[in-house]
Amino acid sequence: MSDPILAVSNLGVDLQREGRIKRIVDNVSFALQPGEVLGLVGEAGSGKSVLARALVRAIAPPLEIVSGKVVFEGRDILSLDPRALARVRGNRIGFIGANPMGSLDPRLPIGQQIVEKLRSVQPEIGRAEARDRVLDFFGRVRIPSPSARFHEAPFQFSGGMMQRVMIVDALVSDPSLVIADNITQPLDVTVAAQIIRLIDGLRQSLNTAFLFISSSLPVVAQLAERTLVMQRGQIVEQGLTSELAANPRQPYTRTLLSRIPPIWKDVMAPTATDGEAVLKVDNVVRTYFVRRRGSFNAYNQVQAVRGVSFTVKAGENFGIVGESGCGKSTLTRLLAWLEQPDGGRIAFLGKDLSHLSAHSLTEMRKSFQLLLQDPYGSLPAGMPLLRMIEEPLLIHGFDRAEAARRAQEAMIEVGLDAELAHRLPVGLSAGQRQRINIARALVLRPRLLILDETLSALDQVEQAELLDLFNRLQATYGFSYVFISHDLALVRRMCHRIAVMYLGRIVELADNTTLFEQPHHPYTRALLSAMPTLEHNHFPHTRYLLDGEPPSPIDLPLGCSFRSRCPRAENDCQKTDPPLLALAGGNYAACLHRHEKETADVE
Amino acid sequence: MFVLSFLLRRLLQGSLIILLVIFIIFTLLRVVPGDPARLIVGGMAPDAVVAMKAKELGLDRPIPIQFLSYLSDLATGDLGTSFVRPKSGASLGGSAFDDSTREDRAKVLDLILGTLPMTLQLAALSLAIALSVAVPLGTLGGLHPGRWPDKLALGLGSICVSTPNFWLGIVLTLFLSVKLKLLPAIGYRGFSYTILPAIVLAVEIIPFILRTLTVSVAQVMREEFIQIAPIRGLTRSRTVLLHALGNAAIPLVNLLGVQLGMLLGGVLVVEFIFDYPGLGLLTINAVLQRDFPLIQGIAIFISVMFVAINILVDLIAMTIDPRLEY
Repeated sequence: MSDPILAVSNLGVDLQREGRIKRIVDNVSFALQPGEVLGLVGEAGSGKSVLARALVRAIAPPLEIVSGKVVFEGRDILSLDPRALARVRGNRIGFIGANPMGSLDPRLPIGQQIVEKLRSVQPEIGRAEARDRVLDFFGRVRIPSPSARFHEAPFQFSGGMMQRVMIVDALVSDPSLVIADNITQPLDVTVAAQIIRLIDGLRQSLNTAFLFISSSLPVVAQLAERTLVMQRGQIVEQGLTSELAANPRQPYTRTLLSRIPPIWKDVMAPTATDGEAVLKVDNVVRTYFVRRRGSFNAYNQVQAVRGVSFTVKAGENFGIVGESGCGKSTLTRLLAWLEQPDGGRIAFLGKDLSHLSAHSLTEMRKSFQLLLQDPYGSLPAGMPLLRMIEEPLLIHGFDRAEAARRAQEAMIEVGLDAELAHRLPVGLSAGQRQRINIARALVLRPRLLILDETLSALDQVEQAELLDLFNRLQATYGFSYVFISHDLALVRRMCHRIAVMYLGRIVELADNTTLFEQPHHPYTRALLSAMPTLEHNHFPHTRYLLDGEPPSPIDLPLGCSFRSRCPRAENDCQKTDPPLLALAGGNYAACLHRHEKETADVE
Repeated sequence: MFVLSFLLRRLLQGSLIILLVIFIIFTLLRVVPGDPARLIVGGMAPDAVVAMKAKELGLDRPIPIQFLSYLSDLATGDLGTSFVRPKSGASLGGSAFDDSTREDRAKVLDLILGTLPMTLQLAALSLAIALSVAVPLGTLGGLHPGRWPDKLALGLGSICVSTPNFWLGIVLTLFLSVKLKLLPAIGYRGFSYTILPAIVLAVEIIPFILRTLTVSVAQVMREEFIQIAPIRGLTRSRTVLLHALGNAAIPLVNLLGVQLGMLLGGVLVVEFIFDYPGLGLLTINAVLQRDFPLIQGIAIFISVMFVAINILVDLIAMTIDPRLEY
């Protein structure tokens, strides 16, 4: 084995706050060979990001590097003088972070900023040469029309494109090491899969070493030959990624692995009992008008939801999945009747909501409740817990004593400590806060709960606890749930039927088993194929993975709106917009060339 | 193309605002007590002369008609003539009704344009003083929150904001012109007469700039793209000068627009104290003399200035930050 490019020994970082010292990175040692991809996994708060920043000495108070060496290309970064450090950072070591949208000056063209960076670290490069080099890299990370996009500012890019820009920013100085800190975390699953594939291709052609950090072992496993497992600042286990996944030796690694929800292996898809229809959505349309940039009085139509129909039955868990921009948030607002659809109708318990009087609508609102994603922004900060939970009851005209009694019951039911009743929500965890929100919805005895990414802000353990709570409440009260989520594993575990949305339409609606094992729509297969898994993915990347990004909902392709990315698109897809066709078993798919019984493609 | 449609839209909005201002000012002035016809001819004139004057000026017509004819005059750039001011300059308030010089009254537009350069000069100088003090200190304060530059900025701001301008004007006059004889204070006979009032105005503006800049610089410095700039290989000076200040400048530009609007509107108290012949002094005298056309003219002129400055400020802000294009 050649000399390592990076050798870290006994690295320690402390957090000093209010006179107390907390060890964030504890005695970490590892080495990285030239051209190697080394994975680093651990939960949120395990010290991964601090470690990443300590490697380039970007540590500021209250954090402090207290011990160790970071030997990079033969020299200790921690003892370099500032001028020598400046020659390494951003030059020999590239850095890509988890927030591509916030990583560059939002006002200035991205091309100009990367040229600025390149010429800061390598002043001998001329302006024209730097520009050519940046453009060349834009092509290599497959940013479409590089010379036009060179002059655009960050806000004109999508998250996935911006992450490509940041990859160029890191690679443009031809570094020998790139630190990639959670780079796929903010991205949609198909886009994240593209980024992973891109990095895999680049590092083979550039011979750059990567330290690839993520909180998810399946993500790391896509790239890294070796992986470090970090817990509370310490490296608890390291080894070949495949071996780590197959035969974990440390209890912590085993816990990490056990929290990865299975998709195909040993999965029992929940099946629903047939009940009456609670919510009936019929051909709902919502279009927004946005003034066109640079025009005096012209408007663009953003077709957020285009003719969506489905029914949710009593006691059913209905899932709606799709990537950002597919219209699921707009649909949520329509379902919760925060906005009215431009066309179509939404009926709840057989009553069309648009025909109800204001009074009966308020009465009806008791029966369907919305739970939001952000547990911090959705609670009034200055109100005691019990009062918060009483509030919906008081709004609906219950007397105080009754409201207090019901609120206390609800607190016990969702697992909130009765001692918290008169406290403010300050200092409560995200999970506890979501429990308050659940209690607030629960006191009204609703029939339907709409969960808009309600669990995405929580860690795996809290998520599992709340899912159990949801199941328990369903068994007691017969609730129906609508899960709106981008998390396929969650939907796999909870939902009876699932709708897949793409550009404002449902492209496939099927029961759990069909959707995950024998989906008919190529987009569903692409979504499943893009999921990072440790188990064998039934839908191989090579066959199903998508290129490009969804088109803008302002400028939809004619015919089938998925055809611009579809691997199965043929000529007739340009002419015909496929309707959502009923298939066997109460399932639906909107595709002219849908996958029928192609078991050969399913591995 | 974009700038054209932006200008077109903003100018239309602006004219609507100005029309509204004209309407309000016009109505208010007709409602308040005081007969302008009597004012013009003088208190001693017989009623018949007053009635004749009123007829001559069209003051006996219904108010909506008066408003329409005023609007059509405005459209041709005619702001009317002052009731009391002659072209020569001195006020005629007290002279006899049959004095022949009465007829030669000054055009409102000329009166405003005559004082405008003085006000512009004062505004520019005070803004320059304020910026040269507040920008470096505010930036430093934002770069080192909680440290001494921040505390100094906060302290200086508090002192400035709690100093009454009339008091400061008098004290500065006492020390700088009476005792030390460094600067002239009263009236106007050259550029040096602008300095004292400009200092007093600058002291009024400084706290706003300081506060805005410290807050926005401190905020930008916490942004991710500034935090990771050193890891990307950018130097600190480059990061601060190009990226942090560029982003922090937008709230400042908006603030300066409002401040400049106020300064151009004439600063009543300060111009009065220093007897500085700007728009503010003109306003005070017009009000005291119940010189309706002049008050109307000044009010409309100021609203036009405000609208124009705001359009300009938005254009500048858009050049600094293209995200603001809408």
